[in-house]
Amino acid sequence: MSDAFTITDEQQDYSQYDLEANPFPYSPVPAEDPEIYCGQQHVSDKISSTVSSMLSTGKSKHLVVTGKYGNGKSHTLKYTRSLLRGRDDVVVGYVAQPGEGFLDIYHEFVYDLGFNRLQELAYEFLASVARDVTDTNPIGASGMESLIDEGDVLLSEIVPESIRRLSDVTKFADFARAIIHMVYEDTNLYAWQWLTAEGIRYEQRKEMEIHSALDDDTMGVRAFTALKNMLLELGYTGIFVFVDEFESIARLSPKDEQATLNSIRHLMDQNSSGLCMLFGCAPEVWQDVMSEYHAFSERIGEEVALKPLTSENLYELVRDYLDQERVSSTENEGIDPFSEEALDLILQTSQGNIRQVLSMCSRILDDAAKSQENKITVAWAEGKI
Amino acid sequence: MLYRRRKLDLPRGELDTPVLFPVRNIGKRSSDNTPTYVGTIPEFSAAMINARSIRNRDPMWQRISNGVTLREEMDVPEDTIVFADSGGFDFANEEVDTTPAKTLDTQSQLDADILGTVDIPLSRENRAAENQRRIDQSIEYALKASDHHDGVGLLFASVHGYDPETIRNNIQYLEKNGEFDGYALGSMVPIRTDYKKITKLILSARNATDKHLHVYGLGGLVYQPLLLYLGVDSFDSSAFIRSAGNRNYLIPGFGGEEIRNIEELDRLPCPCPVCGQKELDEIREDRTALTQHNLWALATELRRFRYVAESGRDIEEYLDLRFSGNEVTKRAYETAKQQMRRLT
Repeated sequence: MSDAFTITDEQQDYSQYDLEANPFPYSPVPAEDPEIYCGQQHVSDKISSTVSSMLSTGKSKHLVVTGKYGNGKSHTLKYTRSLLRGRDDVVVGYVAQPGEGFLDIYHEFVYDLGFNRLQELAYEFLASVARDVTDTNPIGASGMESLIDEGDVLLSEIVPESIRRLSDVTKFADFARAIIHMVYEDTNLYAWQWLTAEGIRYEQRKEMEIHSALDDDTMGVRAFTALKNMLLELGYTGIFVFVDEFESIARLSPKDEQATLNSIRHLMDQNSSGLCMLFGCAPEVWQDVMSEYHAFSERIGEEVALKPLTSENLYELVRDYLDQERVSSTENEGIDPFSEEALDLILQTSQGNIRQVLSMCSRILDDAAKSQENKITVAWAEGKI
Repeated sequence: MLYRRRKLDLPRGELDTPVLFPVRNIGKRSSDNTPTYVGTIPEFSAAMINARSIRNRDPMWQRISNGVTLREEMDVPEDTIVFADSGGFDFANEEVDTTPAKTLDTQSQLDADILGTVDIPLSRENRAAENQRRIDQSIEYALKASDHHDGVGLLFASVHGYDPETIRNNIQYLEKNGEFDGYALGSMVPIRTDYKKITKLILSARNATDKHLHVYGLGGLVYQPLLLYLGVDSFDSSAFIRSAGNRNYLIPGFGGEEIRNIEELDRLPCPCPVCGQKELDEIREDRTALTQHNLWALATELRRFRYVAESGRDIEEYLDLRFSGNEVTKRAYETAKQQMRRLT
């Protein structure tokens, strides 16, 4: 048997640094729900202002976050999403990249919301109707579900009225039927497939009395607007859409690119309230969009650029990461075992690119632990970078 | 496996379940042309009748109003157990021309042992909103019947729905708001070829209540073992009459066979009192004999299932064999088996 590889699940010991583990990611990709955000005060101020405006006034507001690869666009969007997810008056969806057009954005958004969330919204709508037309007072989706299961309300009494009202609110009867069918176990998967624009067979649509196919950008805009209108009717403040890697629209043909931007523009025009879109985009592509597609870029209006890290930003970032794995309860151990000079070297080498910084920190800390270095000095780090 | 044996406590004594109620066509014609079976086939001492048809046939209703009993009209012993449904099946195409109180009054005058509430059947061809209205209306009729019921005879609420949630929801709603001795699932006949749907609906009803569960109109040879497996307590069928009308010979374990396909045979494969004595030619010429045989076939199917259950044999193994000959029913049974296993 070959002994060329030594594979072990034995954990590295970081106790000499007062750490439980290496806090830096080996592969620096943004976490789904990031806990750390540091530096970039101008970015957090701008995002806070955009988000807060929408929350306080209900008026739609949009923002594009630009920055070079690895400077933290995805992290910024995901961090903002994780902050908003805790609120129960908004719906938040993340779109990893715009795909081939608006229908893909819509698909990814609904997928990010998830089957259960959409089903909850259906029950919430039924609850709002049940409160009006019955003597019951269901609280939330689970309250409505148990009233149906227990037989306190009759489905046949509230469903036709719910479809009628939701059609009025959304101006999209097929969408209304699909949402209400989310509560029926026989049809909820078909309804979900239709609502995510995945496409279903004619017979499956027929079973839900859905006449149209949700298969182009125009229908996607219509469905999205319908969803938002339903949410406003239910008392939500609005929808937040985070579209990452927006620069990939540059890969589309000029015709498709224009169509995608037009669809987003139509979406913004149809939703002057209750919608906040945040885009993550490489600066050079955003420059092109600004110069070539005024109608779209003017509707976004605001842009904020992520900058490379400064040394102060880096110290703060490293401290925050290390604090996550500190053994002793006393915080503010600072950047130990890194020396400031070593971090300055890392900053210089990475040119302030956060992805590279995290990657280097992770690797150097592992190497130091293996070599049982007490301190990561600039001299020691030099040999490892 | 949800198969169960119980007893129904009825005005005319106890009735062992699961049980088949052969459908009598009394009232639909000037006279009932169902051949004698009560007293001939021991387990069939019951009948399903259509209360509305009898009420609407004036001469017959006059006689009953003047003291002739329904059982005399049917030419059966007075202790024959009668399940009188409202005749709601006719309301698929006709306007409802009765009220819960009037139907109860009719059922009471017929001295029915089991009373089905007024209902309006669904159809897949209807718009969803129309079906929802019909479901709603049937529930309202059932609750009114519950208010008017004087407690003589068992009252079964007719329940309709083409999805499990609606069935569960209706039964729970009726359980909370009315008083019923059992539930009867309707609107199954128009979707009878959708076995998967039917088994889902029955299972949702079976799980929603421990009370007696009847399924309207699906007591034929193929469905019977499936219904027993799913824990249905009673069912009704007119398949024995309709099949005989079409010269269709029912064979337990196989299904139906058109007599013209087996004309060369002298003796038929069934040892029932009809086929055991007569040659095929005689049976072919005698529609009453064919109808009686078909009833024996239904009885044999029921007896076989009971035997398998009582002797401790594996019912699923029996049903694997029972449904192996037909791809459609085999798939239906496989689906039912999977659904059942998720429950247990």
